[in-house]
Amino acid sequence: MTSSADQPLDDDDLAVLRRLAEVYALLDPPPADLDERVWFAITLGELDAEVARLSEELTVGSGARGSERTRTITFDGDSRAVMITIAERADGLVRIDGWLAPAAALRVELRLPEPAQPRIVTADTAGRFALDGVPHGIAQLLVHPAADDASPRVVTPAFTL
Amino acid sequence: MAVVTLGNGKTGTSHAATDRAARVGACLVRARNGQTAALGEIVRELNPLLWHVARGEGLGAEESADVVQTIWLELVRRLDEIRSPQALTSWLVTAVRREAWRVQGLSRRQAPDGAEQLESVPDPDPGPGERLLTDERDQILWRHVQLLPERCRKLLRIVAHVPRPDYAAVAEALGMPVGSIGPTRGRCLARLREMLRADPGWSP
Repeated sequence: MTSSADQPLDDDDLAVLRRLAEVYALLDPPPADLDERVWFAITLGELDAEVARLSEELTVGSGARGSERTRTITFDGDSRAVMITIAERADGLVRIDGWLAPAAALRVELRLPEPAQPRIVTADTAGRFALDGVPHGIAQLLVHPAADDASPRVVTPAFTL
Repeated sequence: MAVVTLGNGKTGTSHAATDRAARVGACLVRARNGQTAALGEIVRELNPLLWHVARGEGLGAEESADVVQTIWLELVRRLDEIRSPQALTSWLVTAVRREAWRVQGLSRRQAPDGAEQLESVPDPDPGPGERLLTDERDQILWRHVQLLPERCRKLLRIVAHVPRPDYAAVAEALGMPVGSIGPTRGRCLARLREMLRADPGWSP
């Protein structure tokens, strides 16, 4: 048996690769909710939306109690950036404070997995908005264009609250 | 399992490849018609691969998850560009690598400029979790993998997760040589095989 590099793959190669995949699955598995997050995001079914990509995520505070922790996530789209701070509430729900840049009084929608209804708020003229009493889980933000604006909606990737 | 001849191996492979191509192709057609939910099965199948592509480029866990998701969203918008089921996997792998480089560039304030990046990004350390490897063969394999050059570790991490029928297309996208009758072992896997063969504790 030869192991030279230009030989076709044989069954032993495939066995090694299969085992290597299993080792990686044990040592560095994808997040348990990755499939669900992708599924949630793509079933929005909005083919022409502008995707705002995650550009920064910071977690402040490290207490075991959730109320001491806040996360700040920035999403960058071509036309607009969305920054949100997620704070844990004592009752197990979360509060989201957000800013749109450039600032605009646009409708901001928090999409939640069915059967939950989406939460819709309108940002103020400084681009600030707040969504309070939101349950933990998967969510996605959509920023709607102004009524007289034909631009596509800006959507963030799904994230876990 | 005994080593089979190439002829036997090829027959089984092309049969499996045809089945898979038909299945993936049907999902793509439905997705193009607006039923993006049809991609669910493919998402589940390919997410581990895409996750390891992003991790292999040195991204953190949260960044990697986000890059993977971003590329699926991108795919939904570009379904018309995917010409064949085999092209899907290599498109996704290539797109995740590019997006991972872009994210790396943002966090390092320097833009990567191509394949040289393969050599310069540190392999993410899966951490002290090697205790998780209770099977002795897993431990032996992992020990040898860690002795490989970084470029090889990164490559094998990806290759190990590629569905067999898509191997040639992905290998080509990664700049690996592909022989006239199909994917070849490549230098990294050949090297690992030599190391394992020299280890008396190893059996495949």
